[in-house]
Amino acid sequence: MLLLASAMVGPASAMDFSLSGFGTLGAARSTDESAQFVRDLSHPDGLTEQWSLNTDSVLGLQADLNIRPEWSAALQAVSHYRPDGGYEPEITWAFLGFDPNPSWSLRAGRLGIEFYMLADSRLVGYSYLTVRPPIDYYGTLPFSYVDGMDVSATRPLAGGLFRAKLFGGVSREQTPWDQWQFNMSGSLLVGGYLDYQKGPWQVRLGQSSVRFANDLPIEDFYAALPEATADELRVKDHWSHFSSLGIVYDAGPLQTQLMLSKTFNEHGTFEDTWSGYLVLGYRVQDWTPFVGVSAAKSAPANLQYAIPGYTDTYQANFHTDQRTYFLGTRWDFRPGMALKAQVDVIRGDPSSTFLYRWENEEWDGSMTVFSLSWNFVF
Amino acid sequence: MGWIHDGLQSFLELRLLAPAMRMDGSLRALIAALLLLVALQSYADGPVVVVMSTASGVDRLTREEVVNIFLGRFRQLPNGQSALPVDQPTDQGLFSDFYVQLVDKTPAEIRSYWSRLRFSGKTAPPEQATSEQDMLQFLASNPGSLGYVRAGRQTPLVKVVFKLGD
Repeated sequence: MLLLASAMVGPASAMDFSLSGFGTLGAARSTDESAQFVRDLSHPDGLTEQWSLNTDSVLGLQADLNIRPEWSAALQAVSHYRPDGGYEPEITWAFLGFDPNPSWSLRAGRLGIEFYMLADSRLVGYSYLTVRPPIDYYGTLPFSYVDGMDVSATRPLAGGLFRAKLFGGVSREQTPWDQWQFNMSGSLLVGGYLDYQKGPWQVRLGQSSVRFANDLPIEDFYAALPEATADELRVKDHWSHFSSLGIVYDAGPLQTQLMLSKTFNEHGTFEDTWSGYLVLGYRVQDWTPFVGVSAAKSAPANLQYAIPGYTDTYQANFHTDQRTYFLGTRWDFRPGMALKAQVDVIRGDPSSTFLYRWENEEWDGSMTVFSLSWNFVF
Repeated sequence: MGWIHDGLQSFLELRLLAPAMRMDGSLRALIAALLLLVALQSYADGPVVVVMSTASGVDRLTREEVVNIFLGRFRQLPNGQSALPVDQPTDQGLFSDFYVQLVDKTPAEIRSYWSRLRFSGKTAPPEQATSEQDMLQFLASNPGSLGYVRAGRQTPLVKVVFKLGD
């Protein structure tokens, strides 16, 4: 069948090369100077009461080579706000793909990682409704790509489509933590999902895990603790697991997404967290107004060798307990371009600090964020 | 479904506007002319049909199969062969009507959909034909390929495998 299909395609077995790109020019500000709102944990600092272009602005270029029907290759470079505070472009995708038939797809190289549904296109503002993916849900993910491979299989099932995917690879990224950089390079990421799509419905169950290759850059702190206590806190060679459920209902003008996730950590540093979001959008001609709510709540691990006053203070750095109500609109004002405006009203506990940078003692857990963005593809 | 919806809307507008027409002769003539224009326009546009080469070995596709192929979810024909969809973005009216009638999505939403798949290294969008002639030629030389035209505009070299009005 495979050989027959190849033979019959005839002139379509051609080579296509294309260059394309995407970008967002985004401006945002908050109403609070006592903690800085970040889009995700790869940003070293975030919003204040001054308008900032750093949170959401991005420019990406991609080259695609398709050698029909089986082979493809892509190279994508992106410039956006980096852990070191600069905009130096980085390679976010660089892979060779092999699709031996319509059911199977294999890719190897540098790949965006689908830790959660839609997590591999978080930078492409033109592809979604909100100004940025809800941060209560996606904000804790500092990983965006791995050097590795993935394989997916698709088959029709009961009038819909069933898809399964497995991926694995090694991280090359880092994430700022306080004034230091947490080097995730060499960390192993593996995962997969089961997905079923029928008519307007799509449901996905995902499971991913990361094994950190390095500890947080606070060796002095660990060294000052008793060894048994320090060992409970070290993340090096320990796993964090991410389970997720995504439900999408997309019918004509109506777009709905419900995502839920639960993280579980085999160490005492990052907290086990529940998070989720719901967003509803309805298209009226060129406008798509939307409303949504997201939330995240975590709990510290029970340490066997806790040292009151030290380990609990340390663990509090990784705590989240907040919800966000957001509304806004997308306006597709011309082909390939969309303007968006959004207000996020965040209500949380003063202890909710993990998703912020540079919070001080006045932080009360609540702020409002105003965002505008111009998104385009070319 | 989109064209049925449009037709129904024209009909409702006619019913609603009818009393207004009685009020003034010139207004009546103007509205009648406008409605005639709208009616002719929708007749000229009409439903869209999905076509394949007569050599494709495929007689009929379901709406789900057409959606899966054009949206890049699963590009396989019922006979097991790979499917290769062809868009006609230069004919904006046809492009828009095709996706509105297929999945009730606007061209902006289709572009947004493809930007997610393209920039996450997944399926490539349909082939881009520069004209109807270009599309028909492509279909003739690629039996696994699918295109779309206005109902009644298909040539003897292609056959209708799905009618979007259905």
